[in-house]
Amino acid sequence: MRVRSKWKLVRILFTTVWLYGGWLLYTGSFETVSLCLGALASLLVATATYNLFIAEHEAARKGLLVRIHYGILYLLYLLAQMYLSSFAVLINILRGNINPRVVHFRTRLHSDLARVLLATSITLTPGTIALELQEDHLIVHWLDAKTRHSKYAGILIKGKMETLLSRVLL
Amino acid sequence: MIEGIVYLFLLLAAIFNLMGLVGILLFPDPYTRLQASSTCSTTAVISVFIAVMLEAGFSAITGKVLVITLFFFISSPVGAHIIARYAWNMGIVPWRKLRKSSLEDLPHD
Repeated sequence: MRVRSKWKLVRILFTTVWLYGGWLLYTGSFETVSLCLGALASLLVATATYNLFIAEHEAARKGLLVRIHYGILYLLYLLAQMYLSSFAVLINILRGNINPRVVHFRTRLHSDLARVLLATSITLTPGTIALELQEDHLIVHWLDAKTRHSKYAGILIKGKMETLLSRVLL
Repeated sequence: MIEGIVYLFLLLAAIFNLMGLVGILLFPDPYTRLQASSTCSTTAVISVFIAVMLEAGFSAITGKVLVITLFFFISSPVGAHIIARYAWNMGIVPWRKLRKSSLEDLPHD
């Protein structure tokens, strides 16, 4: 019971810190009243919503912190990938020559957050939409399929995203 | 210099948005139309955000736009995924390009 309440406190504290950061950024003032009000409001919101932000069973994970430098690298890689595949989709639209397929493949990632992030990234890259994510099994709609082999399709679609994600989240 | 890059990104945004709309009209089935609309428009909006961030320089506005961009990074693909997942669970069969060989296999009448 004590471990549970301790973990609850940590979760509330973590949510509060994140919310307070948002408050500081969006108010942009450092007056005493604003700071106190922000702390109070974020604590209030955190006590109500900590369960949504950090689920109780996430305690098994090594850390709640992401590795920031890998996170930035991942975002930049995602951005570059987005622009590259945007131009590919542009050419497909102009030529009117598409070869859509639904491919299935698996992912090596373990935590829920990492899997969801992978599926989101796949949807964010133009040309692929994640249709379904069950455990480690992904179903993806591919606009211009180059292969039907499931493992090779996984390698082509995921690219370096999977390895980078496994480094971002500890 | 920075002005030029800002204009380049705005131009890219316009092109991507236009092509996304053309794609909606040209493509044959819900999935491919979703590909054209959601994903190309996402790139367009991100281009606008990048242009705004470059224009604002290093200031508080850039931080706010960055947070909005991160939120958009999460919300936009989730919306597209929900539509696609609903279509998939409804049992809508994705359109597939017929190959010439498979056309020849069809019985003639």
